Amino acid sequence: MKSFFRMSYPYILWIAVFIVAPMIMILLYALTRTGNNTLTFQFTLDNFARFFSDPDFLKVLLTSLRIALLTTVFCLLIGYPAALFMANLSDRAQTLMTLLMTLPMWINMLLKTYAWRGILLNFDFSSELKVFIGMVYDFLPFMIIQIHTAIAKLDPNLLVAAHDLGANSVKSFLKVTLPLSVPGIISGITLVFLPAVSSFVIPKMLGGGNYVLIGNLIEIYFQQTGDWNFGSAISLIMALIIIAAMWATKKLDRTAQEE
Amino acid sequence: MTMKKRHFSKFFSSGYLILILLFIYLPIAYLVLFSFNEGKSMTNFSGFSTRWYEQLFQKEHAMVDSIWTTLLVAGIATLVSTVVGTVAAIGLSKAKRIIRTAVLEINNLPVMNPDIVTAIGLMLLFISVKVQPSMVTLILSHISFCIPYVILTVMPKLRQLDDNVAEAALDLGATPWKALTKVIIPQIYPAILSGALIAFSMSLDDFVVSYFNSGPGINTISMYVYSMKRYNLSVNAMSTLIVAVVTVILVLVNVIPWIKDKKVQKEET
Amino acid sequence: MSKKLIAVLLLICLAVLPVCSLADGTLNVMNYGNYIDEQVLRNFEKEFGVKINYSTTDTPEGMYTKLQTGVSFDVVITSDYMIDRLIKEKKILPLDKGIVTNLDQLSDSVKNLYYDPDNTYTVPYLWQNVVLCYDTTKIDPAKVEELGWGILLDPELDGHVFLFDSFRDIFMMALKNLGYSTNTENRDELMQAYDWLVKMNQTIHPSYVGDEMIDGMAQGEKWIAMMYSGDAVYASMENEKLAICAPKEGTCIAVDAMFIPASASNAELANQFINYVLDYDNAMMITVETCYSTPNAKVAEDVTAEGGEFEGIEWYVPRAGYDKDEIYTDNDLLRTEGPELLMKVKLQ
Repeated sequence: MKSFFRMSYPYILWIAVFIVAPMIMILLYALTRTGNNTLTFQFTLDNFARFFSDPDFLKVLLTSLRIALLTTVFCLLIGYPAALFMANLSDRAQTLMTLLMTLPMWINMLLKTYAWRGILLNFDFSSELKVFIGMVYDFLPFMIIQIHTAIAKLDPNLLVAAHDLGANSVKSFLKVTLPLSVPGIISGITLVFLPAVSSFVIPKMLGGGNYVLIGNLIEIYFQQTGDWNFGSAISLIMALIIIAAMWATKKLDRTAQEE
Repeated sequence: MTMKKRHFSKFFSSGYLILILLFIYLPIAYLVLFSFNEGKSMTNFSGFSTRWYEQLFQKEHAMVDSIWTTLLVAGIATLVSTVVGTVAAIGLSKAKRIIRTAVLEINNLPVMNPDIVTAIGLMLLFISVKVQPSMVTLILSHISFCIPYVILTVMPKLRQLDDNVAEAALDLGATPWKALTKVIIPQIYPAILSGALIAFSMSLDDFVVSYFNSGPGINTISMYVYSMKRYNLSVNAMSTLIVAVVTVILVLVNVIPWIKDKKVQKEET
Repeated sequence: MSKKLIAVLLLICLAVLPVCSLADGTLNVMNYGNYIDEQVLRNFEKEFGVKINYSTTDTPEGMYTKLQTGVSFDVVITSDYMIDRLIKEKKILPLDKGIVTNLDQLSDSVKNLYYDPDNTYTVPYLWQNVVLCYDTTKIDPAKVEELGWGILLDPELDGHVFLFDSFRDIFMMALKNLGYSTNTENRDELMQAYDWLVKMNQTIHPSYVGDEMIDGMAQGEKWIAMMYSGDAVYASMENEKLAICAPKEGTCIAVDAMFIPASASNAELANQFINYVLDYDNAMMITVETCYSTPNAKVAEDVTAEGGEFEGIEWYVPRAGYDKDEIYTDNDLLRTEGPELLMKVKLQ
């Protein structure tokens, strides 16, 4: 049995090549001078300085964070009641609802965004509103399912106990259900906020050429300008922001669980 | 709660859920509706026609190719990542704590990283070793982001296993291979299947990694739609067919076990 | 359980079959989107018994990036200034004139191009001007003719404008209106153009799009667009209210051409493809499908003559010989600073 640990060796080799090496490549490109597709090994911090010293780039970063935050909050506000109501359904109805929620996930996001492009042509909305609608649409099912999973796991006896102790339904929700569903809320937020920040397809397809988020910025520098070094620097900055945010939410989750 | 209150709250909660479902299915319904449009527009429905389905099968070779490509890549990526992921998970569960923690942390990177960062990292890797973007790089890229999901699904189930069963098998003279295939794998089979399904859906839904890592003329469905600047309602026709297939599969997957259960129940009574 | 496995494997095999039927030779072609008649590709595949892998990009810069990723393309179609750059960087193979014999079918107006006067490396494919296409019922034609590119500073147009998302063309509008050359190497002039564009962006909030504007203008979504003359011809044929104007401040003459990159793996087949596309019948199919002007002399004559596809369509043939029009050349300043400056314009 102990010898089974050798089964992990092939994968360790795999991640060295396909996970670690790519990150090192991005790091190298980010830290060296422009050489387009060839690595120059002239180390510099210029690429990072360029990003942080230019107010336009910071504006893009803030816009990305802002719309990701708005999307997350909105998904939470709409998604929580949906998850709650779902959890109160009969078992069969819940399975049906879960099925209905997950079916669209099997249809490629590009196809659904393409459909939204057509729908939104009928309305004279601003680019930002169109992108917002597209983002909420894409991420809402994740939020609902995460929260629903957490609520469905709750012991129904807890609510019965609360009622016996004299709490009305609002109180028992606030004091029992809500606090215990927090892990679901946190994982829902993680699954929405982080991808929303780095999204580039939805802004590009729904926002037109005008709406530029960080993901679009990276794409522009790789595909159009050909400045891979700067593009890598932006990628690295974004990856670090996200990893930091994930680490923070993990800590939050742990403290919430300890309570 | 009074009866009235209960009925009202049931009415309200059902109504809310229906509204949410309407929102979620709105674009899908829109796609399907316009796949039958007489005209070319995505905003004006001018009449009923099946012309786009005809066009899809007769003229849109590149689009149909993209469907095959997507299925091929997803199929191979799922197969390989499920096998490699399961083997790796089993190996890791028996490895030293330090190695296991380190590998699992690295394993998390493709899951946590923005997909554009994963995509670009892989592209830079292939370029630096002078490998031309092709179907091979596309499949390799998909495999590398699918394996972590398999591992994440299988590991928890492995932890729940009772080691003694496998140990007992070995003590009774089973070869390690037999212990693996007859004892361990059957116990974690649901998690493997679940991991495979997740890997498959991640591969189907991918766009960014494919966009940066495929060869000339090779398109997945998402890449093809992205590169289409003008509306071509054959995309709607294709989408409608995809929706139909997915619905049928999901219904079957859920209804068949239910029917089986009912049969077993009947036999028992 | 093993049944499920077999079913899955069968599905994969079925999926593999169509992809596995590769022909003897393959040709990797890269072009702009909507820039060919697909039937020409199918016919070529049949006649030569090969398979064509056809890729598209929106911009010359996108094409250049794809070449950088190491993909081996056999035939590439792109714009003049990008070809200029590639020739300077020695990334293009000379044509085999023993195979490309149809060069005599070229019209005089596309001969003697600055970047390749003797057609050593390239063969023109389609050519055009960048024009203003507008709805005559919403905007007074006299105003457009009078102001030229300057009309884009008119607040009345706010929210009703399409601009093609191409940095050379967008900067060209500004530079021409300011009286400078589109190929300026003077940073001051470029920054003045940048300021002009920022002002324009804040005044009319244009939509920077790609080919979606073609249907957009045909359906009357916006009042005015900066677009390529071929697309404008198509849109105006679909929508009678549209008129086309090549501004008096000058515009660009763009000649898109075919060439064989140095990294091509199938140079002989590439030469044959170029020769094939240049020929009368195929050039005819391409120009009719795309509505862009063909470099094939006889085809151009026939489509504009009586009974021809583009009879009486004034803008089918681009304006040539106007001294304020220029053809783009490549230079360091525009190449390195242009795309980023355009991105910043959009952010203001």
